[in-house]
Order: sequence, then structure tokens, then C-alpha cells
Amino acid sequence: MPRRAAPSTLKADHVAEEKVNTHAQSLTKSRTADETDSRLTRLADHFRREWQIYVMLLPTIIWFVVFLYKPMYGLQIAFKDYSIFRGVANSPWVGWEHFETLFSNDQFLRAVRNTIYISALNLLFGFPAPIILALMFNEVLNQTYKKTAQTIVYLPHFISSVIIAGIVITAFSPTAGIINTFIGWLGFDPVYFLTQPEWFRPIFVGTGIWQEAGFGSIVFLAAIAGVNPSLYESAVVDGANRWQMMWKITIPSILPTILIMLIIRIGNVMEVSFELVILLYQPSTYETADVVNTWVYRQGLQSGQYDLAAAAGLFNAVVAFVLVMTANTLSRRFSRTSLW
Amino acid sequence: MPGVTLDGLVKAYGALQVVHGIDLNVLEREFVVLVGPSGCGKSTTLRMIAGLEEITAGTLTIDGRRMNRVAPKDRDVAMVFQNYALYPHLNVADNMAFGLRIRKMPKDEIATTIADVAEILGLTPYLERRPADLSGGQRQRVAMGRAIVRHPKVFLFDEPLSNLDAKLRTQMRAEIKRLHNRLGVTSIYVTHDQVEAMTLADRIVVMNDGRIEQVGTPMELFNNPANTFVAGFLGSPPMNQMRGVLTDDNVAVVGGAKIKLSGKVNGNAGRDVIVGIRPEHVVLQEDANTSSLPIELDLVEPLGSEALLHARYGEDNLVFKADTNGDVKHLSGVNTVHVPTHLVKLFDAETGSALNLES
Repeated sequence: MPRRAAPSTLKADHVAEEKVNTHAQSLTKSRTADETDSRLTRLADHFRREWQIYVMLLPTIIWFVVFLYKPMYGLQIAFKDYSIFRGVANSPWVGWEHFETLFSNDQFLRAVRNTIYISALNLLFGFPAPIILALMFNEVLNQTYKKTAQTIVYLPHFISSVIIAGIVITAFSPTAGIINTFIGWLGFDPVYFLTQPEWFRPIFVGTGIWQEAGFGSIVFLAAIAGVNPSLYESAVVDGANRWQMMWKITIPSILPTILIMLIIRIGNVMEVSFELVILLYQPSTYETADVVNTWVYRQGLQSGQYDLAAAAGLFNAVVAFVLVMTANTLSRRFSRTSLW
Repeated sequence: MPGVTLDGLVKAYGALQVVHGIDLNVLEREFVVLVGPSGCGKSTTLRMIAGLEEITAGTLTIDGRRMNRVAPKDRDVAMVFQNYALYPHLNVADNMAFGLRIRKMPKDEIATTIADVAEILGLTPYLERRPADLSGGQRQRVAMGRAIVRHPKVFLFDEPLSNLDAKLRTQMRAEIKRLHNRLGVTSIYVTHDQVEAMTLADRIVVMNDGRIEQVGTPMELFNNPANTFVAGFLGSPPMNQMRGVLTDDNVAVVGGAKIKLSGKVNGNAGRDVIVGIRPEHVVLQEDANTSSLPIELDLVEPLGSEALLHARYGEDNLVFKADTNGDVKHLSGVNTVHVPTHLVKLFDAETGSALNLES
């Protein structure tokens, strides 16, 4: 049984311990100060040596400050009863009032649900599409065919969303659209696709895939190009066929790229393509088509409720931030791949 | 016929022919090294044997079976690549099991085979590690392990040690030799390093410009190079080669020096020749069986027990080896080296082919 130390001894020990701790703390402080100093010196040296690089970086920094950081000042109106006449600074604080309004507003909740639903569909079908496309391009041996096919699928990316929406509206038109013409040939009545809520999501997600899958495949094609060719040769000697090589070499090799792209994508989950929704939806399809961004647009710009719209926007940003942090942490833990 | 036979093997990319009809017979259990400078066609030849390059013309036979149109997986060969070709996402055990799983070997058999081979290669503690967590030497062993687990008829090695540092290369060279002695599998090994070729091979095939220059045991090639290319390629430093003229009395005159020959050349006096002297074949003491070569000593490079003497003779830059006996001071005054008559090699100046000396 351990002997209990006398109180005086305990006190002396405690004082000694405190002294040691204080000494250690002061050492740590001075070390941290030294480290900060040397880091600043290094940064200054680096700046003197490589100032051209910093000059080139400047436009990007300015862009971030002007368009992303400065507007953050305005975020405070999410907690204020904002009036354009009083300005951001002089409008009175209202605390969480706008958020309470938001979460008791059925239309906003519907917009959140729609955003998540459409994003989930996009993730499920839109995210794998460029990967599959890149894998397919990688298997094409005829170079002329490969280049032609690549050019064709890259093209929609360079077309403005307005024209894309125009093409979609025309294609699904009940009178002159190719889809309904085809349906007519089969003996069925025309379908008013863009006015029926149940058709909006498939059409929207499909349009997104058509527009972006080709261009998105470039990243994965570049990752595939970086796979060591000896891995395939070794697998050929081992007896692997093309299908096995794709599953056992290509996909695992590009997995870090896939995960990085997935993290970025998850960060954009709340950012459903605003212009395309605005261009394709109509009041009859709000039920499935109205997303947070379009709701913010209608409330903020069209109805002049800037403070409520700012609260919705802030909510969107916080959700995206949490999602991207979570995805990044999970990816780092399970696959040793992460954005930071 | 067991082993590997190459009969007039040709490789061409369109109009460009890179391998011009290789004839070679690799015996069963033999270790043959293809050696030559970069671009000589040695790797292409190996890749044709593996089935990674199509054979343009000629015949490849493995174990008596024509393999020209046979898929790589059905040739029963295993290949070790220069950059190891390990799958970065798989651990050591899974890397080694890859080929066996593709061939649908039962799981318990795979586990036993991998355990056995890992034991042989000293990889047992690393089976769960990924390639990125291994040293260069360990990665190389995994690459060999992946080939060994297949129990193939032929091992093909494509410059497997060129990514290792000098010390590790020497170590792994010995391991490969030991492994070959233990497993006794027919092996074809490609390298540009003549030391690897000399130390590993039962027979060396020296290649140049898509053709075989000479085939033989390491000592045959070292002692009796078929031509100036082989003489210059094998040996470190390479053989000194000087232009000379034959005289009637079994002497080649090089510059002003008369180099005595051990026999007569079938030809006439006045013929232009190339006199070959290996750096390690000269002595510093003159005797009745040597010829003297006056030199201008340029530099002495001590290597420990011996030193390299860089010298000039007329227009020629020559290198000789001399014992240091613990000190190099006495070498700085060398102004003449002596060439033992029986070690002088002679080549035709025009064709570069070795000339036989008749006694």
C-alpha cells in the first residue's frame, strides 16, 4: 500500500511543479515567438526573392477580397431588420428572427428538400458520368474516333446555359419537339414534360450530365494518363483482361482524384445550377423545381426581403461548409486522400 | 526443345527496323543476360519474348512451342520490370497474389504460396505494407516475389536494378544470383550495366544496334572479344584501343612503339590494325615477354588497393590499372607501361573484328 505523503511535502511538490510548469510555459512561449519570427523572416526573404510570383497572385487575391470577402460584411443583415435607407450598419439587430421565419416557411423548407433531392440525384448520376466516360475513352483504341467523340461530348460545356435551356425546351416541346414527335410515332399522346413536376428532376439532371459530363471527364482522363503503363503490362503478363485491368488498376489508381472531385462536389451540394433552374422551371413545377437559390432570388431580389434572403444564403453556406469538412475528414481518415 | 529459342527475330515499327533478326538459344535453367547500350534493342527483344511487343518476323519458341501469336498470359513467363510495376493501392501480399487471383487459384493455395515466397525473400514482416512504405530494395524483392509465386517456365528481367543505389544494387545482384541457383528457372535478364552482366550471367549476349555482336560466357567475352565493340563494352574501364600497323616480325607498330604479338596474323605486313590492351593487363616492370609503351601520365585516381592511371600516348587517351601497395606516390612518376605479349589483342582496323594470332 503506498504511503500517503505528508501535507507539507505535497505542498512543496506542488510549488516545485508549478515552477517547472511556469518555466516550461515561458520556454514554449519564447520558442513559439522565435518560430513565428523565423517564419516571418523566411516569408519576407521569400517575398524579396520571388516577388514576381506574388505580383501574379495579386489579381486572384483582389478578386477574392472584392467578390467574396468584402460581401461577407453584408452577411450581418441576416441578423438585422435591414432597410436600404438605414444601411447595413444602422439597421437594428433582430437576432435569429429571420432563421425562425425561414424554418417556419413551407416554401423555403420545400426549396431545401428540392435542393437536397436534386443534388442527391446529381451526385448519384452526374458524378459517376464523367468517370465512366473517361474510362470508356481510355478503352477506345482508334485515335481518330476517340478524338472526334471527345470533341462532341466536350462541346455542350462551351454553350451558354440560356442556349442549352432553349435546346431542352425545344426538344421537349409538345408540338415540335423531337421527343414528342417520336412519342407520336409510337402512337401515344404528346407529354407536356416541362409543365409536369415529376419530369423536372430527370430532365434537369439529364441536361446537367449532357452539358458537363464530357468536360468533367478531362480531369479523370488526365488522372488515367498518369497511371504507370508498366502496371498494365505487368497485369497483361499476369493474365488480366481489359475489364480486370480497368477494375483492378485504372479505377484504384484514379481513386484519389475521384475522392478529391467528390469532396469538391459535396461542397457544392447546396449550389444547384441556379441559371438552368430559373430557365427551365415555371410555377407549375415549383413543387419539385424550386431550390434554395431560386427561392433566395425570388425573395431577395424580386420581393425585396434582403435580410431573409441573406439568412437563407448563410444557411446554405453553413451547410456546404459542414458537408465539405465532413467529407474531407472522412476521406482523409479512410483513404489518406484529402483536400487539405 | 526446352528453353527459349529465338530464330531470326525481327521487330520493325513501320519502315523502321529496330531488331534485325536475332538468333539465340537459351537453354533450360540457364541465366542469359542481354547487354548493350541504350537503344540497342535488348528491351524490345525481351518484350517480344514476353508478348508485350508483336514479333514482326522470325520465330519465338518456348519449351518447344511456337509462341509468336500466343497471348502473354499463356506463354508461362513472368516479368520483373525496371520500375517494379507494383500496384500502389495493394499491399505486398495482394501485389504478390494479383496474378494468382487472376488465374483463379484457390485462396488457401495462394496464401501458402505467398507465405513460402515471402519467407524466401525475407518479406514476411512486410506483407501488410503498401509499396509506398517500402524501401527500394524491398520493392524490388516484392517485384521478384510477384514473378516467383507464378512458378513460370521463364523469368524475364528488364533492368530490374537500375533504380537502386550502387550499394543496394550489389546486394540485390547477389540475391538474384542466389535465387536463380536455388530455383533453377530459365532466366533472361536485360541490362546496360556490364558489371551486372559479368556477375550474373551463365552466358552474355552483347547487342548493338539491333544485332547480336557476340554470345558467350562472361570470361570468354572478356578474354576473347569478337570485335572492338565487345572489347570496348565489357570491362571497367574498357579495353584501350590504339591504331597500329603490322610488320613482318610479329610486331604491331603503334605510334613509335613496337608491340610484340604472341603469334602471326594471317595476312601481310603493312596491314592496319587496332591493338587492344586491357587496363589491368599492363605491368610496371619490364621483362623479356613484355613490350614497352611510353606514356604521358595525366592523372592518378586512387581506388584503394589499385589506382587508375590516365595517360596519353600520341593522340590516344589511355587508362591503365596498377596496384597501389598502400600508396600512390610511386605511381606519379610512371612514364612507361609494359604490355605482356600474350595479352595483346588485335582487331582489323576496317571491320573491327578480332584477328586470330597463329603461333
